[in-house]
Amino acid sequence: MRAVVCAAIVLAIAPFGLPLFAMTLLTEALILGLLAMSLDLMVGYTRLISFGHAAAYGLGAYTSGYLLLHTSLPLPFAVLAASALAGAVAIGVAWVCTLATGISFSMLTLAFAQLLYAVAFKWTSVTGASDGLAGIPRRAGPFGITMFQTKDGYYYLVLFCLLGAYAFCRSLVRSPFGAVLRGIRENEAKTLSLGYNTRLYKIAVVAVSFALGGLAGALYSPFAGFANTDLLFWLFSGQVLIMVIVGGQGTLHGPILGAAFFMLLEHVLSLYTESWALFFGLIFIGFVMFAPEGIWGLLTRRVRA
Amino acid sequence: MDLLPFLLTQCLNALSQAALLFFLGVGLTLIFGIMRIVNFAHGTFYMLGAFIGYSSARVTGSFWAGLVIGPLIAGAIGAAFEMGLLRRLYRRDASAFLMVTFGLTLVLGEIIRLIWGVDALQLEVPEVFSGIVFLFDEPFPTYRLFLAGAGVVVAVGIWQFLERTRLGLLIRATSQNAEMVHALGVDVNLVRTAIFGIGCGLAALGGVLAAPLVTASLGMAGNAIIDAFVIVIIGGMGSFLGSLLAAVLVAFVQVFGTYYFPDFALAAMYMLMLLVLVIRPGGLLGKEA
Amino acid sequence: MVNQADILRRTMLQAAAAAGFATLAGPAAAADPIKIGIPVALTGPLGGVGAQMRRACEFWAKEVNAKGGLLGRPVELVIEDTAGNPATTVRTVQEMVERDGIRVITAIVASNEALATVPKLAEWDTIFVSGDNGDGRLTAESLVPNFFRANVSGPMGTRAVALWLRDSPMKNFYGLGMDYAWGHNSMDVFAAEAKRAGKNFMGAVFSPTGTKDFSTYITKIRQSGAEGVYLVLAGDDNNAFLAQAKQYRLGDKVQMLTEQVDQMSINATGDSAIGLIGSSRYPFSLDNPVNKAFVAAWQAEYGRPPDLFEGDQYQSCKVLQAGIEKAGSIEAAKLRTALEGLAVTSVKGPIVMRACDHQAEQPGFIVKVVKREGMEHPVPEVIASYPADRVTPPCNKMVYDD
Repeated sequence: MRAVVCAAIVLAIAPFGLPLFAMTLLTEALILGLLAMSLDLMVGYTRLISFGHAAAYGLGAYTSGYLLLHTSLPLPFAVLAASALAGAVAIGVAWVCTLATGISFSMLTLAFAQLLYAVAFKWTSVTGASDGLAGIPRRAGPFGITMFQTKDGYYYLVLFCLLGAYAFCRSLVRSPFGAVLRGIRENEAKTLSLGYNTRLYKIAVVAVSFALGGLAGALYSPFAGFANTDLLFWLFSGQVLIMVIVGGQGTLHGPILGAAFFMLLEHVLSLYTESWALFFGLIFIGFVMFAPEGIWGLLTRRVRA
Repeated sequence: MDLLPFLLTQCLNALSQAALLFFLGVGLTLIFGIMRIVNFAHGTFYMLGAFIGYSSARVTGSFWAGLVIGPLIAGAIGAAFEMGLLRRLYRRDASAFLMVTFGLTLVLGEIIRLIWGVDALQLEVPEVFSGIVFLFDEPFPTYRLFLAGAGVVVAVGIWQFLERTRLGLLIRATSQNAEMVHALGVDVNLVRTAIFGIGCGLAALGGVLAAPLVTASLGMAGNAIIDAFVIVIIGGMGSFLGSLLAAVLVAFVQVFGTYYFPDFALAAMYMLMLLVLVIRPGGLLGKEA
Repeated sequence: MVNQADILRRTMLQAAAAAGFATLAGPAAAADPIKIGIPVALTGPLGGVGAQMRRACEFWAKEVNAKGGLLGRPVELVIEDTAGNPATTVRTVQEMVERDGIRVITAIVASNEALATVPKLAEWDTIFVSGDNGDGRLTAESLVPNFFRANVSGPMGTRAVALWLRDSPMKNFYGLGMDYAWGHNSMDVFAAEAKRAGKNFMGAVFSPTGTKDFSTYITKIRQSGAEGVYLVLAGDDNNAFLAQAKQYRLGDKVQMLTEQVDQMSINATGDSAIGLIGSSRYPFSLDNPVNKAFVAAWQAEYGRPPDLFEGDQYQSCKVLQAGIEKAGSIEAAKLRTALEGLAVTSVKGPIVMRACDHQAEQPGFIVKVVKREGMEHPVPEVIASYPADRVTPPCNKMVYDD
């Protein structure tokens, strides 16, 4: 717990010490961290391996982008509305996907996400098709609050959402609800025989996960001022899954680190060499071979040693 | 165009496309059946095949040399990758494979870019099949007929290989129960290496054969991998016959779907996938639900 | 737990430091160079075009620096790969602005990257001179004060083809475009132009980006009974279509017309491209002294003539250079004023960056792909050219009045 508090404090004072563009990167890293953490609820705690988490991010990003461009809704409300929509859509998606288990579940999530991708490509009036939505504003308000329009202000909004979501997830996984999720992860048949309707629990966790993933997406589009179909593409789903695994699944904070690591590594490498993909790939392979427990596992292992 | 020549042309179009999808999907499904891993790098091997095929054809002056050399080298690289890295990961969960093959995709893709550059490269249709035949006055490329034929030949070949040869028997046995095969004193690792190499080689074969239609380019891998996934998922993961069935189904849906509903060309494949999965969560011929 | 906290904090600081070291390492004042941001797609499907554009920028910078630089200061290019992804492009430019203090950018490859970038230019106080982005809206409904287009736009390319068609005996046309904004916009312009010329536009079909099998589209084109088909395809899709069209002998029956003919796709499709007629943003064979000097210098450097995107991007760099020289600064407000109405004698002859919508007025060229003795690949040959006032659209518009 103290580690988390310290991390929160460091992050809170970061704008005072970091140059402008580092804040841009850090903001994006935190947004991705939120996304990865939301996926961890499904992957790490319930063993629902989703290959379509980009759907949550994309839904959030497009919804908040659309609301900010076409309505006068203040930014925080647009973000919350987008998150709620992602959660609501997830109930329908999860209802279908949980008909299957294991790898078939993963494939269904992939199919849904790709279908959404195809829809986004054709629904020009809402999504802007291949152009995406550009020039998404950070509208002021409510009550004339302009804080989120500044760079640091927006960073604090993101940080607040991340910390809030973290606290929520943490209490969730420690609650009786979380115990059932872990039961499903370890042995679904047994949990079912204990009288729990495991499918309802799974639908619930997918909805929560999508709502938080949608929140991340909803924060992204006003941050970048932009949303396009790449955010819904299956490749991005794969990358988020990898962020979770690299960070350490089933820990909540691991995936946040994983997301930051993934993004910053890609970024720093691409500054130095056009062949960044080569080194990025090699580092990944190295990670799998030598650090199977992920970044968080690596850190804690060294502490214990 | 009259109805009959139209239908004939479209069906042959679909069959030639089905052959390409089959080459792509069958390797992935065999690998999954034996090793329970999702090979993210499959599309990259497809692309690698096209580039090696291009260079071999250029050096030797023969398309056929490329058709042999491309799959051989790609298959060898795949087998080496299995021996060097994947083999150490079988005790770990599926996510390790996902990451390591994702890493391989990046590495291999960049190596291809460094060797062959960024421009698309043309692999000419082989001389014998560069002509056309007339189907009721409609010209149809013989190369497409050759593709459809190659699809049939390879499908029968794989089927006979799985049914008749010792390695095929071991592959089928390993996909049923790897520990039992191991207990019988068979080197399971060797079976795995073989199947991974064969799978990658089949993808590369598809790449060489597709190159005269689409040129060898760096965009090939990303396009191919999702197609391969769709074939494997619709057919049922690990099912050889399923991948054949799925390839034909997807090709027909695409060719006729694009004709009658061009606006849904992109979505058609995913809607089909969703439909199949909702009805049969394990895919058409998949075992697991 | 204390240790854990320590390590977590350290990791965060390290991550922050990793993000920050580029500024610390960057030389603060090495003769105070003029930095130009090049957020260009070097990897991904657009990598080929991006490589051309980067090459043109490097060629230009070398040329300028050999002559003592710009305003007496050396030109420094800050090149970063965007992989053709609009989100990455926005982030990359944001960093160039915040980290390197960049105030001028060029060489963005794709139109959707440009469309994502332009709304932010005011916030960044940065000028963007396009060298490739063809989407008509960039100088119409999406125009922002800090954006300038020195290259030929998509509608201008289509217009040149349409002007050529007016004198052609062909009557009936069909269209095949990529299913994204550029494809639809160019097709709309073509349809309108064809109708105005008294031709019959029979409809169009759009293929999703990344289409590999064009057989059904070829069937549709054949069935339409049109004498000409207008193609708005690019990159891999274009190559795949041309290769397959040749296999179906489509060219025997239908004249293929296209918005842009570049050497790169001709090289990739070989003989399949022969007979193709289309507009070219820059054919290297133009006969004027500036172009001859450019082609000779390029030939000496790279051993081959410059391709379309190289010529067009080079022209953009020259426009930018003239603007900076006139403004005496790279400050956005001054540079903007200097660029508006600026006249430059470019490789395509005299061109003017008009003030009303920031589109450079320039001539249009129609080329035909032919096989020439002694050349490994077929080459485009200019068969017609049209003056700037016929090709450039009315201010702030994407469609033409006459």
